[in-house]
Amino acid sequence: MPDAAITVDSLEKSFPPAFSGWRAFAQPFVASTVPALRSISFQVKPGEAVALLGTNGAGKTTLLRILATLLLPTRGTVRVAGFDPVREPAAVRRHLGYHAGSDLGFYPRLTGRENVRFFGRLNHLSDSYLRTRIPVAAGQFELGGVLDRQVRTLSAGTIQRLSLLRALLHQPRVLLLDEPTRSLDALAAADFRRFLKTEILARQGTSLLFASHALPEIEFLADRIALLDDGRLVAFDTAAALKCRCGAASLEEAFSRLTGHSASLLAEPTSS
Amino acid sequence: MIRTLRDLLLFFTRDLRIAGTYRAPFVLELIEALFGAAMLYFVARFVDSPELRAALPQGSTYFAYSLVGFIFFDYLNASLDSFDRSLEEARDSGTLEPLLVTQVSLPVMLVGSAVYPFVVTTLRIAIYLAWGAALFHFPLHAANWLSVAVVLLGTLLAFCGLGILSAAYLLLFKRGNPAKWFFLSVSGLVGGMLFPVSILPGWLQVIAHLNPVTYALDAMRAALLDGANLAQVAPTLLILLLFAAVLLPGSVLGFSWALRRTKITGTLSHR
Repeated sequence: MPDAAITVDSLEKSFPPAFSGWRAFAQPFVASTVPALRSISFQVKPGEAVALLGTNGAGKTTLLRILATLLLPTRGTVRVAGFDPVREPAAVRRHLGYHAGSDLGFYPRLTGRENVRFFGRLNHLSDSYLRTRIPVAAGQFELGGVLDRQVRTLSAGTIQRLSLLRALLHQPRVLLLDEPTRSLDALAAADFRRFLKTEILARQGTSLLFASHALPEIEFLADRIALLDDGRLVAFDTAAALKCRCGAASLEEAFSRLTGHSASLLAEPTSS
Repeated sequence: MIRTLRDLLLFFTRDLRIAGTYRAPFVLELIEALFGAAMLYFVARFVDSPELRAALPQGSTYFAYSLVGFIFFDYLNASLDSFDRSLEEARDSGTLEPLLVTQVSLPVMLVGSAVYPFVVTTLRIAIYLAWGAALFHFPLHAANWLSVAVVLLGTLLAFCGLGILSAAYLLLFKRGNPAKWFFLSVSGLVGGMLFPVSILPGWLQVIAHLNPVTYALDAMRAALLDGANLAQVAPTLLILLLFAAVLLPGSVLGFSWALRRTKITGTLSHR
């Protein structure tokens, strides 16, 4: 077991500038000059929950996608469950659950069970394991009644829960969530947070790194907060320490003082 | 190896299940194949002449000749389409990223997603041939089925390279591949689909002989219409395998490079 569940060391990521018209043909070959992450370093301990907080464009989704092996870093190193996502992507995926926060990503003509089983089998989970695991996990997410319906007939919130079930099916050591409660109603979101806290974090000891705009969610779930602004890590500490550091009464106020942005910018629920 | 085969089977089962939720297409395909075969039969009756018969392989009718060309192009279409279409569908439905964070590599995912279209195309071809034999005297009895199977395998290997290259293009440029349409059009003209390559002007014959479709069709017609055995199709098959030996590794390298580029530019799931 590595000392850290996630290690991010001097991570930098740049993208090529976006072209339109005829110049778009050159897009795949253009050098990456637009920085999205600038020399980020932090660690997530085993069993710890860390929130990525920042306005749109701060680099939260880019960071999660690098850890999930979907993007290559420009410079620096990262390790997930002790493995390098660039050199050992398969090993990283074995220990990783990733939920991109959208209600897409399923085959609409297949049932929820068929979808989840398909992805479970692609993670090399055995049929017998899936036969027992899917109903149990579906019960935890209150999906038992809809599991045998075609996904195209399910609501956005239900698909979101199905997506979380898929991310957790192989009981990953590290869970990456990008705005996990974005499509859930208030009640479902509160239930989901409780489930994450008691079941995934406390009982299973899974390490969690999640991006969120919801400050109450962050205060409820996160042991520490990585505050990102324009690709830079502005602060990395507990909510209490962040508030104390700038003499703020609330996390909202601490965010404003540390980044110089109004916390109202966090209200826009779009991933960066 | 067994795990990869199991993964490929998973993709096939997925596509079969999805196809099973649509009932009408199978019946429509059956009818379409009947109309397609009938159309070629009547065209053949209309254009049949001593000059044409002299240009055809020994003992062949124009109907049999054109039917093999026609259905064979279905294979070419499936090869060129299956890989980039599966990628496009995964990207548009949002399943690409969930697939990419599983234990299955993108090449296995691509090939797995192409298995079902290939099986369906093979079935469609079988239906065409069955209609042709049942109603329009297609000489199925003359075929050497072992040669047919081997030529089909060689053809698949050669054509898959083209399909994977097409998927690499889609990864980079996000929209349909103009080179694919150009290749299909050129192959339609010089590949020998509806008329023998020998009646083309010399310079077009040169292009025809640089095209794997020409060899695949030659070998398939020899196996299916002339009952050629493996030794007889071997020279053509060898050229076809040579194309496969160049195209397959080349396309896999090209695809890997394109995938890496999209992971650098962050455009993997962009449309």
